[in-house]
Amino acid sequence: MATAPEFPGLDLGDKFRFWPKHNEKIYERLESKHAWIEERRAEQRGDGMPVTDMTETDPLDHEMVLNIGPQHPATHGVLRCVVKLDGETIEKTVLDIGYLHRGIEKLAESKTYQEFMPYTDRMDYLSPYSNNVAWCLAVEKLAGIDVPDRAQWIRQIMCELARISSHCLWLGVGLMDAGAMSAFLWTFQMREDIYSIFDEVCGARFTVSHSRIGGIASDISPRSISMIREFIETIQEEIDGWERLLNRNRIWVERNKDVGRITKEEAIELGLTGPNLRGSGVEYDLRRFEPYLKYDEVDFTIPIREDGDCLARYFLRLEEMKQSVRIIEQSLDRMSEGPIRADDAKQAYPSKDEVYYSMEGMIHDFMYTDVGTQAPKGAHAYHAVEGPKGELGFYLTSDGTGRPFRVRINAPSFANLQAMEYIMEGSLVADTVVIIGSLDPVMGEADK
Amino acid sequence: MPEDDRSPDQREDEALKFHYTPAAEARPDQKQDNPHAKGTTHVPEVIDALKGEFGEAIGPVESYANEDTVFVEKARLREVCRFLKEEQNFAYFSDAGGIDRFTDEERYEMFYNLVNLDDQKRIRLKVRIDEADMHVPSVTDVYRAANWNEREAYDMFGFTFDGHPDLRRMYMPEDFEYHPLRKEFPLLGVPGSLPLPPQTPEGELTMDPFAAAHGSKPAKSYEEPRSVDEE
Repeated sequence: MATAPEFPGLDLGDKFRFWPKHNEKIYERLESKHAWIEERRAEQRGDGMPVTDMTETDPLDHEMVLNIGPQHPATHGVLRCVVKLDGETIEKTVLDIGYLHRGIEKLAESKTYQEFMPYTDRMDYLSPYSNNVAWCLAVEKLAGIDVPDRAQWIRQIMCELARISSHCLWLGVGLMDAGAMSAFLWTFQMREDIYSIFDEVCGARFTVSHSRIGGIASDISPRSISMIREFIETIQEEIDGWERLLNRNRIWVERNKDVGRITKEEAIELGLTGPNLRGSGVEYDLRRFEPYLKYDEVDFTIPIREDGDCLARYFLRLEEMKQSVRIIEQSLDRMSEGPIRADDAKQAYPSKDEVYYSMEGMIHDFMYTDVGTQAPKGAHAYHAVEGPKGELGFYLTSDGTGRPFRVRINAPSFANLQAMEYIMEGSLVADTVVIIGSLDPVMGEADK
Repeated sequence: MPEDDRSPDQREDEALKFHYTPAAEARPDQKQDNPHAKGTTHVPEVIDALKGEFGEAIGPVESYANEDTVFVEKARLREVCRFLKEEQNFAYFSDAGGIDRFTDEERYEMFYNLVNLDDQKRIRLKVRIDEADMHVPSVTDVYRAANWNEREAYDMFGFTFDGHPDLRRMYMPEDFEYHPLRKEFPLLGVPGSLPLPPQTPEGELTMDPFAAAHGSKPAKSYEEPRSVDEE
C-alpha cells in the first residue's frame, strides 16, 4: 500500500474538500426532484407511481448521474449541469451556477454611479455597450436626468451594433456546438469589424464603458460613421450568405427542429426573456413595451416565431439582426447635431476641453468624480432595456448620497437558465449542447 | 509684454469656446418631471381593485418617476399574487429581490416586479420583513419563475421562504455561513470563510488540494445508484 505523500500545508481533511456540503445538497436535490418526465413514464406503465427505480434488462435503460461542466467548452462559461440520465434521455436536471459570482451588487453599494460602469461591461461580456446604456438609463431615471438627443441616437446605434455582435457570437458558437467549425470564423470576422468600430468610437475594442451618466463620453467621428455604414452593408450580405448555408441545411435543421421546445404558456410561466420568449410566440420586447432612447421614432418590426424550438430561435435571431441593421440605418440618417452630455455639472461630466482649460471645468470634474450624481433620498426606480439576451433591468434605491443604497440587477441569462433546467428534462443528452447554445446564456450576467 | 494691437473682435475669436458648458444649477427651461417616466408603470385601477379585494392588507402606495409600488401585508402576499395573476392578468414574473434597509424595525424588504403582457402594465409589490421574523411566504406556487429569485434572496439576505420547494443557496456554496448582501457583511469578506488560494506564493494554504488522494471522503447522506456489475 502506497503511503500518503508528505503535504506541507494544513491537512484540514473533510472540512475544505471542495465544499462537500454543497455537492451533497445538489445530489440530494437531484434525487428528490419531481420531474414531469417521470409522470409521463408512470402514465405509460399504468401504475400511477413515479418511476424512480429502473431495473430493466436493457443496458440503455440504466441510470447514471453525469456532471457536465463547470469546465466544459459547450456550456459557454462556468455552468454546471448535473443531469440524471436514463439511457440517453435526461430525466432530471439540476443546474449549479455561481462559479463566476463576484458580488457586483454588493460592490456597487460602495461605488459612485459612474464608478460602477466598468462592472457592467463585465456582466454580459458579449455586448458591453447595452449594459452600459442600461445602467446609465436606470441612473438617469432615478436622478431625473435628461439626455440630449444626439447622445440617445448614438447610444441606440451602438446598442444595436452590440446586439448584432452578440448574435454573431451566438450563431458561430451555436454552429460550432452542432459540429460546424468554419462558420465560427465567418461570424467572428463580423464581430471583429464591430470591435474595430467600437475601437474607433470609444477607444476600446471590448469593454467599452463609453456611455456616461447624462450622455456619452465622446462624440462619434465621421470616420466611424463611414465605418458603420460600410459594416451594415457587409453584414447584410453576410447574413444572406449564412441563411443560404443554413436555412435548408439538412444537418442544421434536423439538429435544431423540435429540440428544446417550449410552448407559449410554458415560456411565460418559466419567465423566459428576450429572443427565447419571442421564439415561443410572446410579443414582449421592451423596445415596444416601454420605448426608451429613440426606439419610438424609428421604423422596425419585432420578429416573432410560434414554434418555440431551437430552429425558431435561430430564425428569430437572424431576423433580429436584420431589424437591427434597419434601426442603425435610420438612426444614422436621422441623428441630430448637438451636445452629447447633459448641460448640468450635477448630472454629467464636463468635456475634457473644459477640464483642461477652465477652472470651473476642473472643479466640476473633480466634484463629479468625488461625489457624482446624487439622486433624491428615498427614490427608487426600475429601468429595463431590451439587451441582446432579453430584459436587462436595474432596480436602484437611493439614500440621497452619490452612491446607490441598493442595486438589484435583473439579468436575462439568470431567468433563461432557470427555464433551461426544465427544458432539458426529457431531451437527449446530445441535445443539451444545442439547447444551451440556443438559449444563449452568459454566465457573467447570470452569476453577477 | 508686447501690446496686443488686434481689434477687440479678433481677440474675442481667440477666446476658448466650450461646447458643453456646465451650469451649476438646472436651467429654468430644463424639464423638472422625470424624462424617463413610462406610462406602463402607473396602474391606479389595479391598485383600486387590490384595495377593494384585500382592504387593510394593502398598505401605502408609493410613486416615484411614475412607478407605483404597493406595500402588502406579508401574510397575504401569496393571495395578492394569485389575485393579480388570475384576476388582473399579471401573468409574467419579471423580477424579485431583497433590500436591506438597515433600520431598527422592519429591516428588510422583498420586492416583486410583475408584468401584464396584454395590457402592457407593470406593478411592483413590496413586503416588509422584521429581523425577528425572517419568514416570507414563497410565491413559487403562483409564479414558478420566482424559484431562483427567492433562492437568491435566501442566499444574500437569509430569508426563509415558507413553501419553497428547493431552498438552497443560489451563488454561494452551502458551506458558507454568511449572507453577503446584508449591510453588516464586510465588502472584503470574512477571512477564512472560504477555502481560497493563498495570496502570496509563501502564503499559508487554507485547504488541502489533494484531499481525495489523502484518503479524505466526504460524508454522504444519500445512496448513489449502483451499477448492475456491482450487484
